[in-house]
Amino acid sequence: MKDLNLTEKSHLMSDTKISAKGVQVYYGDNHAIKDVNVDIEDKTVTAFIGPSGCGKSTFLRTINRMNDTIDICRVEGDILIDGEDIYDPAVDPVQLRAKVGMVFQKPNPFPKSIYDNVAYGPKIHGLARNKAELDEIVEKSLRKAALWNEAKDRLQAPGTGLSGGQQQRLCIARAIATSPEVLLMDEPCSALDPIATAQVEELIDELRQSFSVVIVTHSMQQAARVSQKTAFFHLGNLVEFGETDKIFTNPEDPRTESYISGRIG
Amino acid sequence: MPILTLLVVLAIIAVAGYVLGRRRAMASADGDMRKLHSLPSYYGYNAALTGLVPAALVLAVWTIAQPMVLQNNVSDMITTEVADDGALSLIMSDVRRLADGLDTAVAQGALTPAEAANMTAEGTDVRGTLADVGVALGSEVSQDVLGAAQAYRAGSATGNLIKTVLVLLIAIGGTAFALMKTTATFRARNTVERGVMAVLIAAASIAILTTIGIVLSLVFNTVEFFRLYPAMDFFFGTTWQPSFSGRGGASELGLLPLLWGTLYISFVALLVAVPIGLFAAIYLSEYAGPRVRAFAKPMLEVLAGIPTIVYGLFALLVVGPMLKDVFGGDGALGVAWMTGDRSVITAGLVMGIMLIPFVSSLSDDIINAVPQSMRDGSLGLGATPSETIRQVVLPAALPGIVGAILLAASRAIGETMIVVLGAGAAGRLDLNPFEAMTTVTAKIVSQLTGDSDFSSPEALVAFALGMSLFVITLGLNVFALFIVRKYREQYE
Ligand SMILES: Nc1ncnc2c1ncn2[C@@H]1O[C@H](COP(=O)(O)OP(=O)(O)OP(=O)(O)O)[C@@H](O)[C@H]1O
Ligand SMILES: [Mg+2]
Repeated sequence: MKDLNLTEKSHLMSDTKISAKGVQVYYGDNHAIKDVNVDIEDKTVTAFIGPSGCGKSTFLRTINRMNDTIDICRVEGDILIDGEDIYDPAVDPVQLRAKVGMVFQKPNPFPKSIYDNVAYGPKIHGLARNKAELDEIVEKSLRKAALWNEAKDRLQAPGTGLSGGQQQRLCIARAIATSPEVLLMDEPCSALDPIATAQVEELIDELRQSFSVVIVTHSMQQAARVSQKTAFFHLGNLVEFGETDKIFTNPEDPRTESYISGRIG
Repeated sequence: MPILTLLVVLAIIAVAGYVLGRRRAMASADGDMRKLHSLPSYYGYNAALTGLVPAALVLAVWTIAQPMVLQNNVSDMITTEVADDGALSLIMSDVRRLADGLDTAVAQGALTPAEAANMTAEGTDVRGTLADVGVALGSEVSQDVLGAAQAYRAGSATGNLIKTVLVLLIAIGGTAFALMKTTATFRARNTVERGVMAVLIAAASIAILTTIGIVLSLVFNTVEFFRLYPAMDFFFGTTWQPSFSGRGGASELGLLPLLWGTLYISFVALLVAVPIGLFAAIYLSEYAGPRVRAFAKPMLEVLAGIPTIVYGLFALLVVGPMLKDVFGGDGALGVAWMTGDRSVITAGLVMGIMLIPFVSSLSDDIINAVPQSMRDGSLGLGATPSETIRQVVLPAALPGIVGAILLAASRAIGETMIVVLGAGAAGRLDLNPFEAMTTVTAKIVSQLTGDSDFSSPEALVAFALGMSLFVITLGLNVFALFIVRKYREQYE
């Protein structure tokens, strides 16, 4: 009995992948994230929703320390991934970002070939022993990102020559090629047509088997479809966090309810 | 009327046109601005511009054309045996000098206008008379030159009178015409728009015409040179040995040693400037904090403000001796590669230092133009900053950087003072960078300094050299612009 209890408990412990405690983010004097506490589970899709400018992207970027690249940005509080404080001076942000991949709000393919775009991460981190393995990683990633059929005949063509939606899928392929443990996606479908959106949502669902996925979205339907947990941000505050079903059907906070029913935003 | 007075009168007419145009427009609308098609000031501008622009245009063209036409007319009066066009143009410049001298003498009262117009070379001591009023003439004045000068004076007096009258008539006529058309429904705004366009076109044409003028003057003299000196010997000759004592055939004017020196020194300069400038740009744009950047960027750009002659002194007095201490006969290495202070490497090093800010500030702009999202993409995949720069930023910026390097190269090729002081004066085809060599620009200077006779191949070769240099740098610039433009299309 006791043993079982222990494994049960340790299982529960490892369930939390990312844990944010009292996180504050400032851009100069602008207090963009106010005291956010949240536990994001492993092998779950968590959706961040909220009106424009409420700090969803900002909070997402604190999770892989992309905010370091903004001079005026200051982060306070703790963010733990697997129990390790990622803002500890001993942590190498470069290593961290390899583990926590990111798809940006605007597609940003490199001015290289489609193949080289996807192979970029694996090459840097030495994930492939030879060309054949690299080819395999590239193909697998492009397939997962639902881009393989369109791109397989033009792998050497520049990635910047793709359409906006194709570029976004290329960026998704690029991010999953390094097989990160956590994937942060900032409105990955905002430039996609319904079919590609469905494919990406399918991908997100599949990724959940192995990764923890955090997705920012402006589409309530999308959040409801793909996520198990939902966090609602408003004016830099995390207003409500819980099971997606509950947030959408029976929100506790009046602000959440107004937002979901379209009254604020 | 002197031109300055004429310009002032034109300005007064324009101002009057403005005031009248405005007032007339207001009157035609019974003082109610809303009834006018355009704002009242547009009617004013319209009247002013309609008077001013055509008048100014006529004035400019006339002023430029008059001396040419006159000179053409009076050149027939020269009866002295003239060897060729060069000698004729020398005589014509005497004629103009003399005409100006007579003007001065009349203005100072040393001669009456009638005396000036009727004096003869035999009857008066022209040279002495003019010397008294401070105009020095090189030689005794012959009768035909004096006659030509007098005709020239007479012609320009009539010309100036007609010009003044014509310009004033056009100005007043134009203003009156515009005032006549000024009614409440007249579309002054659109007309002014066209006037503004005309002014802008005029400005652009001046720039273009000047370029064409420069090229033409080079071309004529170059053609003249090739008539005196075989083109094959110039382009493929391997010796540069002009002689100023003898005439014609004694000189050997081969382009190759000079071109070699130019390219060699430029190459050394780029070898210094490109890596240092590029690395400095990368540090400043990618690594340096805002405070370092605010301090270091202006410091680097100070380098660009140093006059090149100062760089030349630096090369001659500091770098040259220092290099000789190391590579010279009894230097630190004991290799005896370098015999004098002046060498390709001396000039190249210093020129490279001069080009560093040029390369770095251009590259800095280009690197900054690479969108931040590109860097984020790479950093977000777990790349280090230097991996990001090497694999994403630099490839994206490469065409622009190549363009910057080519622009730097064309500056290096055109640089003169550093070469004159740092590289030496002997044209030489040699591989040893510690040897003194010289460049095209340095030789252009030395061929034209001092008393040069503009009809000898030794002087005219300067134009052929200039033309060659012009073609080379033009080619480089066009190529650079082509590449830079191609790069711009990538993000827009
Ligand atoms: N680089 C920056 N520099 C300064 N302020 C910033 C920066 N990025 C974001 N902000 C500010 O932080 C706040 C939150 O911005 P954020 O981009 O996180 O919003 P968001 O929720 O992602 O909005 P959207 O849904 O429109 O993407 C905003 O007030 C914004 O002005
Ligand atoms: Mg956002």
